Amino acid sequence: MVTKSADVIIIGGGVIGTSIAYYLAKQGIKATLLESKDICSGTSGACDKAISLQSKNPGLHLELALQSAAIYHTLGEELSCELEYKQCGGMIAIENESQLTIMEDFVRRQKKFGLTVDLVSIEEARKRQPALSPNLIAATYSSVDAEVSPLKATFAFARAAQRQGACLHSGVEVRSIMVKDGKVEGVITNKGVYKTNLVINAAGVYAPFIGQMVGIHIPIKPRRGQIIITEPMPPFIQGHLWSARYIVAKYNPELIRQEDSEAADLGVGLAAGQTHDGTLLFGGTREFVGYDVKTTPEAFAAILRHAVNIVPALRQVHVIRTFAGLRPYTVDGMPILGPVDGLEGFLMAAGHEGDGIALAPITGQMIAGYIVSGIETKEIQALRLSRLTSVNC
Amino acid sequence: MSEVLICRCEEISELEISEAIEDGARSLIGVKRRTGAGMGLCQGRTCRRLITNMIVQQTGISPAEVETDTTRIPVRPIQIDSLLCPCQQKEKKEVTETRT
Repeated sequence: MVTKSADVIIIGGGVIGTSIAYYLAKQGIKATLLESKDICSGTSGACDKAISLQSKNPGLHLELALQSAAIYHTLGEELSCELEYKQCGGMIAIENESQLTIMEDFVRRQKKFGLTVDLVSIEEARKRQPALSPNLIAATYSSVDAEVSPLKATFAFARAAQRQGACLHSGVEVRSIMVKDGKVEGVITNKGVYKTNLVINAAGVYAPFIGQMVGIHIPIKPRRGQIIITEPMPPFIQGHLWSARYIVAKYNPELIRQEDSEAADLGVGLAAGQTHDGTLLFGGTREFVGYDVKTTPEAFAAILRHAVNIVPALRQVHVIRTFAGLRPYTVDGMPILGPVDGLEGFLMAAGHEGDGIALAPITGQMIAGYIVSGIETKEIQALRLSRLTSVNC
Repeated sequence: MSEVLICRCEEISELEISEAIEDGARSLIGVKRRTGAGMGLCQGRTCRRLITNMIVQQTGISPAEVETDTTRIPVRPIQIDSLLCPCQQKEKKEVTETRT
């Protein structure tokens, strides 16, 4: 066995791990990132392109998303890569009165928090988004919702980190973590041993397995999201489009049950967008099915029957593929960041559910900032694992 | 490496694919995520063999070790209307309405 040493070991080569590697390198710390498969091969490579602010709960969640969005404005330039970033605006379509009541409250709280968002009539909404069904009753609109290519962002972080001295290794699987007297001393992998005093668990949906190696229970569960891809179309959907059911499915799926019980089981809500080359991406589901990444005919059908109620012209479009990704779910919808009680040299940076792309820059900066300064900010204090220790999942 | 197009749908050249393999791609999906090859209308039907061969030639791994792409529904492009249940299909609904 080869023994190497590293100042910092990052486990996981998704958008979170590569972002941390980049921001550490920027501060002069050359981390070693270990990825068991390939960079961007898990959740970060199987998601849509939205950087949504409107879908965030007012409070710390929205605050972090706003800070992260501000970083994205100049990130492409900083990383010397075209990230297909655009502040394209976003809309949430409302189908009925009960959704309207929920969304009125959501918008009011978001506005109070300082987010640019408005509730508009369906006529006004259709001027911006002509594809919307006239049978809807209203919509929200925010000009600050944005988009980025998740693939380009992840690879750009990885390459920029490498240019600045970080070491990224694919195909390296962490088998166990060496701990002595409550302190991390190294990791054992299929490709040798790495001595280190600092390990960052950025393994997303696999973070609980890394936790098990050091006897820590990490309450992150994989939640499957299925997405449908269409043939390239002329401009069809402006910016991002969600249905209010998407927000309801995210925070309280039981409310969908009266309308469509199968859709409630699958957590179906519409999230639609159009890529640079015209392809439409629309989803999605929120399902607890373990680590199964298959796509299913049931979800395919449930997404379609909901989607055509929001955008009737979709009927004429051809589907070319479906895909699924696993989102690292936590019970309060927030990531687990920072140090862990009773184990020195072990940091968490996982559990972003569907917000990994949106929150990657701020997560990378927060973790790098903590490592450099040793100061636990109030945000990290609020997101520590200890807040969830009573959770069983 | 040339500018010859390997993925015709997404117009990805031999050079771009070679660079992706250089960057660490060892599977069809690794090339796809780095370049977009195989993401177009034909979903890699034309280019998957060519890309597999390029991975084999460039890295020396055996063809059997090159991870194939996941097969997903639908198998070929299909219009959304034909996938909806009859009660939701627009054209059929109109036909019934005129009949009644």
